[in-house]
Amino acid sequence: MAQTAVKRVEIEATSRLKELMRAYFLDLDAASKDHNRRVAWCTSVGPCEILSAFGFAVYFPENHGALLGAKKISHEIIPRAAGLGYCAEACSYMNSDIGCDLTDRSPLKQLYGIDGPPRPDLLVYSTNQCRDVQEWFQYFGQRHDAMVTGIRPPRHLGDVTREQVADVRAQLEQLIERIEIRYEQKLDRRLLREAVERSSRVSQLWGRVLETARHRPSPMTFWDMLIHMAPVILMRGSLEAIEYYETLRAEMEQRIADGVAAVPDERWRIYWEGMPVWPRLRELSEKFFDLRAAVVASTYCNSWAFEPYTGGDPLDWMARTSLEIFINRDEVRKERFLASVFDRFGVDGAIFHNARTCPNNTNSRYGMPERLRRRLDLPVLVLDGDLSDIRFFSTAQSMTNIEAFVEQLEGRK
Amino acid sequence: MSGHVYVGIDAGSSATKCIVLRTERDSTDDAVGHAVVPSGFDYTRAARQVLKEALAAAGATEPEITACVATGYGRSSVQLPESVQLRRLTEITCHARGAREWYPNVRHVIDIGGQDTKVIRLCDRGRMADYRMNAKCAAGTGTFLESIAVRLGLPLSEIDALAMESVVPLTLNSYCTVFTSTEVLERIKAGDAKEDIAMGMFRAIASRVVEMLSTGGRDGPVAATGGVVTYCSAMRRALEEALEMPIHRPPLPQHAGAYGAALLAREAFGERAAIHEPEPVALNHIADSACCSGTPTSGICGHRDLRQGEERPC
Repeated sequence: MAQTAVKRVEIEATSRLKELMRAYFLDLDAASKDHNRRVAWCTSVGPCEILSAFGFAVYFPENHGALLGAKKISHEIIPRAAGLGYCAEACSYMNSDIGCDLTDRSPLKQLYGIDGPPRPDLLVYSTNQCRDVQEWFQYFGQRHDAMVTGIRPPRHLGDVTREQVADVRAQLEQLIERIEIRYEQKLDRRLLREAVERSSRVSQLWGRVLETARHRPSPMTFWDMLIHMAPVILMRGSLEAIEYYETLRAEMEQRIADGVAAVPDERWRIYWEGMPVWPRLRELSEKFFDLRAAVVASTYCNSWAFEPYTGGDPLDWMARTSLEIFINRDEVRKERFLASVFDRFGVDGAIFHNARTCPNNTNSRYGMPERLRRRLDLPVLVLDGDLSDIRFFSTAQSMTNIEAFVEQLEGRK
Repeated sequence: MSGHVYVGIDAGSSATKCIVLRTERDSTDDAVGHAVVPSGFDYTRAARQVLKEALAAAGATEPEITACVATGYGRSSVQLPESVQLRRLTEITCHARGAREWYPNVRHVIDIGGQDTKVIRLCDRGRMADYRMNAKCAAGTGTFLESIAVRLGLPLSEIDALAMESVVPLTLNSYCTVFTSTEVLERIKAGDAKEDIAMGMFRAIASRVVEMLSTGGRDGPVAATGGVVTYCSAMRRALEEALEMPIHRPPLPQHAGAYGAALLAREAFGERAAIHEPEPVALNHIADSACCSGTPTSGICGHRDLRQGEERPC
């Protein structure tokens, strides 16, 4: 394929995003050094609203795992975790974060001039995504002599039942009680409701930003979304995140009005299923750009677009949200969801990333791509790789695979 | 000279192959020059060398080249003068095109190369419908065989010859090159015949291929291309056993990608080639170049012969 001289149009909101991220990490660093403040670590779709209502500064180590991958450090430090007995095929976010702890190589130092990840006072997990997070938090809990607790929602659900919601709600109440006892502080339920309302608002706005990619040509791609999703994960209960996504959505809508395409002369629209390959984001985004292929939607970025909170008990919403996320559903629900998104975004093909160390967020292992290919007559490609450990990814083979996939699409025209 | 010269260069991980199609005006047939050289450390140099040899074999010169398609892992390293229209396509598209030219009814192409193995499914119009590529591990590729050959201290040709003597259906079961090497040693210790162990290696590759072929469903004739099929008769035997059907092995299996590339160059930048129905044609005037026991060199033959070819006896 001929290389293009066309340049991509930068998203203007990016400068505001950088300011937000800087302020967020500086505040975390300050909180970890302030004896009057407390830091809680939380999993990315964990009960962070409870933690912020208690007054914790909330840190999400999965973001740090992604950062270690994106900065191409993971593969160098994962062997240190392996040296402690952590299998190299266990979650590479976890392994690289442990490796980072052992080598003191956090990119946060260079990016924000801080000491690295904030020291936790409390670590709270939800195993609604995987159990690795529990082991990950146990390591750091022991390392920092901090309390580790969490919830274990039922997994791989079809329809989410009232009983399952009640189960998780009860676990959330127990979690609150444990924190109240540990810190001798009663949870302010009004603050919890406000945090949930803001989380829901941020999540809704993020969903609307993602929806702009339905337009042809798409104003943004998966590669942009991966950068701009940071606030919905790290700051989802904040007013700043609401303001940010209103700005970003306005910019995307303006792009649509002005006919600005993320991929000029967009020829192909692709769906990305599974985790990103953080260490190869640039190479992959350039490859798709050169092929005039816009990756317009993804399971990953959509994972933080929750159903809205419409009043009532905020714990019910938190429980339901933690159960309903894509990663926690059975094959039938996942397949139904994917078929519907493929249709809504008008994709020409779907790429399934088979992430070696993330079986929980990989959906190519039980025949789903083949079933969807046959049912929808939609080209699918399974790409072997990993979210963070580049040793599981062959750049040359993957690029050939992607090019051949687009040639396959050309052949269907 | 009147007419056109179309070039296909397949810069593979182990070998760089070239096909030159020389189309004479007012002629219904084309001349084909072909060559293969080791890729070595320098894809650009290998491409230059193989082009030179194939052009010489076809009786053509570089300034006469109308268009070229470069393919293979080193495709981005293929450099030609600016006057030549150059396009880069993956070897998957090119192998599919080459195999289809030889066998118009073929529906599946198995390309076992040095670095990876691809199984390509063609639609009834001859275009690529979809494909599967082996996972990152070398098991199931030419590298797998080379690695074990080195371990045993035997050239691949000798392993192939041994395998063809096998009478016991032994299959090596490991899923990884390193583990398979260990399994070979275990089989030697257990007293299994070396012929059967050798054949077991080819069956291990064939079983990986069947996995890939079965994923998309099998619905028609199968052709095998690539270097391993070129040099190893046992590979074809193992594939036929595993698939329980005869497979087509084209006249120049290793050149299938380059051949497809040259045809695609002609279609993209020159005349559009129609796919012809096969006719029985003698192929005795294809120059010795790349059969299972031969040393890769260069040669010339009629394009029609290649296009309508049946396999050469090995």
